[in-house]
Amino acid sequence: MTALVRMRLAGFLRTGRALAPLLAGLVVLGTLYGGGRSQPAEAYGVSAVVLFPVLAWQTRILLDIEPDVQRRLAQVTVGVARERLAGLLAAGVAALVAVAVALLFPWLVGGVTGPVEPGDRSVPVGIALGLWAHLLAVPAAVALGALASRASVGGAAYGVAVLALGGVGAVALGLRGSVAPWLVPPIMATARTTAGDAAALTLLGLTLWAVAWSAAVTVGYLWRRRAQG
Amino acid sequence: MRLENVWLRYHRRGPWVLRDVDVRIGPGEVAVVLGRNGVGKSTLLQVAAGVLRPGRGRVVDRPARVGWVPERFPADQPFTVSGYLTGMARVAGLGSSAADKAVTTWTQRLGLDAFSSVRLPELSKGTAQKVGLAQAMLRRPGLLVLDEPWEGLDATTRELVPELIDEVLADGGTVLVSDHRGETVRLPAARRWSVAAGVLTEETAPTGEEAVAVVEVAVPAARVASTVARLRAEGHQILRVRADTSITAPQARPAAAPLRPTGEPALDQPEGADAVEQAAGEAR
Repeated sequence: MTALVRMRLAGFLRTGRALAPLLAGLVVLGTLYGGGRSQPAEAYGVSAVVLFPVLAWQTRILLDIEPDVQRRLAQVTVGVARERLAGLLAAGVAALVAVAVALLFPWLVGGVTGPVEPGDRSVPVGIALGLWAHLLAVPAAVALGALASRASVGGAAYGVAVLALGGVGAVALGLRGSVAPWLVPPIMATARTTAGDAAALTLLGLTLWAVAWSAAVTVGYLWRRRAQG
Repeated sequence: MRLENVWLRYHRRGPWVLRDVDVRIGPGEVAVVLGRNGVGKSTLLQVAAGVLRPGRGRVVDRPARVGWVPERFPADQPFTVSGYLTGMARVAGLGSSAADKAVTTWTQRLGLDAFSSVRLPELSKGTAQKVGLAQAMLRRPGLLVLDEPWEGLDATTRELVPELIDEVLADGGTVLVSDHRGETVRLPAARRWSVAAGVLTEETAPTGEEAVAVVEVAVPAARVASTVARLRAEGHQILRVRADTSITAPQARPAAAPLRPTGEPALDQPEGADAVEQAAGEAR
């Protein structure tokens, strides 16, 4: 299965279509950090929010690059479960690379600052919280992107609709006072937490929420794949 | 391997493409799937290979290693021939050196050496089809499923396909193959599965005096009309006459024999056949 993950990543990188989400990510990060300096935890919380739809889009591109017949060849060779898992893992690896870029980016452009006032978080704690916020976004974005992929929804228009609904919904339904925040992954709640009081129980709760949401959407993806044959 | 009461349709409310297919095939056996376009041959093969999941019924005892040659190889991929085959060999579970060895072996056997560093989208249809054939054979399959494997192949490689099938059978493997060109008469021991309206029936091959084979004979273009007339007078059935620019000296290929069962009309017509057709027309 590792070989299939490598092959799919190689296909993604060699087509040049990896450039589009990379550039989009750099644009949103540039816009985010162009407005001034902020402390790492706060900056990274927002960074995870803006990266969420980009990572989902990247996942969809990665999975859609492979021709349908080639995906079936892989399925025949390694089996149904491993073929599905390899796609998700390849997308996860690509997302982690993007996260690494996102974590480094503000240091390269001077977008972050250390503690300013007494009581501010230290830089390592801020980075740790930022890493956590991004890692919560990765499985959710991969699951959403997979659900929007051609193998899952069939037509390109449906895929775009799923991506748009997921991306916009994550922000709109994630606002404070939302009537159904559990319908979307907790990326907005995570950003609020990293900017404010990050109690251990809150972090645990958000982590479980993100894992449960990602698992539910992944099950939806696998169900769609099964239904598509 | 057995397909047990397999039903399949592509959409919930769509028509059934396969209806109650119940068939068994054992190790060392080859079956040819016959039928008109759109009757479900490829669907049946994909169910057998594990690409498609039956809506009803099931496939049991499918060999662990399956090689599938799709009807059209997906050449729209950013790999070179050797890069793709090496990747597929690794995906099939071969180690680094075993993968390299397998790729070398099959690129040589299929005449792909010269294309090793060529990117897949740049390949001709026939060469891409060879890559499809190679990827299925990199690790000897217990079940080899070939969907129109002769399509687009050159004469040399067409001759190689039955050889590959025999090798899989000799190792105790099972082979399923579809064909609308009549090339499968090269597989005289094959069982014949006929698919019509989604229903599979097994044909009994004619034996003894009833058995018919097709012999392809190359003759100088100028003698086409007389040869056709003579053969017809001797009681042979002329299936078709075509040009073959790959043959410069007819005597060099006296018994090239893509055998075709009588009654199966040839569906393809190579370019440049007009002149020969005209000559043959005089004899018809």
